[in-house]
Amino acid sequence: MKYYGLNSEPANIMHIDLNSCFATIEQQAHPSLRGQAVGITNRLVPHCCLITCSYEAKALGVRVGMRYEEARLLAPKLIMLESDPAKYHFVYTKLIHIMQSYSPKVKMKSIDEGVIDFHGVRPSIESRDMEDIGLEIKQRIRAEIGSWMKCNIGIAPNQFLAKLAAGLHKPDGMDRIDANNLIEVLQTLKLTDLPGIAEHYEARLNANQIYTPLQFLEADKHLLHQRVFRSISGEYWYDRLRGYEVDDVKTKKGIVGRQFVLDGQTNNQAKLLCRMQYLCQTTGLKLRNLSLDARGVAVWCDFANGEHFFKRQIHKVSFYTDKDIFERVIYLFNQRPQQLSVVRIGLFCYNLSPSKRNQLALLESFQKSENLTLAIDEVNQRHGNFTIIYAAAAEGKLAIKQKVPFGSTEYFDLLLRS
Amino acid sequence: MNDIELINTRVEVVVIYRANGEILKQTWPLKMKYQGRIVNFTELGLRHPTIQGKRMIHVFDMSDGTDDYRLEFDAEHLTWALKAISSGQK
Repeated sequence: MKYYGLNSEPANIMHIDLNSCFATIEQQAHPSLRGQAVGITNRLVPHCCLITCSYEAKALGVRVGMRYEEARLLAPKLIMLESDPAKYHFVYTKLIHIMQSYSPKVKMKSIDEGVIDFHGVRPSIESRDMEDIGLEIKQRIRAEIGSWMKCNIGIAPNQFLAKLAAGLHKPDGMDRIDANNLIEVLQTLKLTDLPGIAEHYEARLNANQIYTPLQFLEADKHLLHQRVFRSISGEYWYDRLRGYEVDDVKTKKGIVGRQFVLDGQTNNQAKLLCRMQYLCQTTGLKLRNLSLDARGVAVWCDFANGEHFFKRQIHKVSFYTDKDIFERVIYLFNQRPQQLSVVRIGLFCYNLSPSKRNQLALLESFQKSENLTLAIDEVNQRHGNFTIIYAAAAEGKLAIKQKVPFGSTEYFDLLLRS
Repeated sequence: MNDIELINTRVEVVVIYRANGEILKQTWPLKMKYQGRIVNFTELGLRHPTIQGKRMIHVFDMSDGTDDYRLEFDAEHLTWALKAISSGQK
């Protein structure tokens, strides 16, 4: 029998994934929608796109990212709803609460999936069978959130295999992958079934005569490093496939920013500036929440004719106030071709460093600016975000609603306070 | 796209607060009076809190077995409002 060097440690990682999260939550909230094809969009307009859909819609061929018109052709009775972040946030906090009752080591990967690490948990939990705990979590989700809520659970010795296991039988499945059945499971899958392997990496693997997950597992570490991934990432894949944990690293924050798809294309400077001002305020809020200062700012926009604009600039002095961010952003933004209609705008701050805001500034003007920012933040924390807002951003605040974040939920709680 | 009627009106609601029992049934709007009609609720879809400034608003998504109702309880003013009715699509 071939030796693969698999991690034979007991499976102590559990991945939990709420099935078709937003659509299922809406079906939970509205019993009349259960069993129906439901789609969720961020903005309910005729040409909107689906950000998620129910299993009933998926069974008819509807997919995430489809336009409403396209989805209606496949599912004529499709019911479209606008996203309700407060509702999803509540379910998200309930899910975390349930997960944390088993282990303090809980990591939320996104709003609808997270990982529980059972290493070093208290004896009353450690002595229990993982599948038993998984069933209990499913029951608690139904009892404490709602009877329509379903989740997929994966159990494995590392996060990658736990996520893979969670995706094996949807909806409402529970599977384990460990050294005993890893080979057998990989034999049933395609390369693109592996989390993190899409067409681009599949092509690279194929170019090196790797066509199946089992061949991927059997591939030499050196080959993966030097030829396939051309970086240490190849070695991480070698270990990851074998069940060793390589994904538990905290990355340094690189950028903080915001983007917005405009409510109708325009080249109206006043309209664009007020929306950009609002994005600057939310970016400033995120920066200060992370206790970071920035030295770089980048601005971009997409035009209706398909062209793209991007400008960035590093400054000698770091900044963090909304006013400073806006001044720097507008200087760059106004260098775009102003006759072209804009459809999407965005900005981000980079070159981030820990905040020096506790140090007294030498110049009184800097200190005044900092005091003003602190006062505004305190009022907004007490009475709701953007209670005090720059006049120029007022219209932007009405146009730009807080939407559900994809991926990290780092700022979800912060920006949801209204 | 969907039959949702926006209402936004104060309503009379009878609520039961249970000491024990199932978590999701401990606070339960039993019925409400709207436009002279009594609506008896048969299911709590979801209850979730939202914050509006300093006020805590508890949203109760209820069903009478056919239609869905969004009720909001303002915890500061202690009032109930009917926000929307979604007609059941069969």
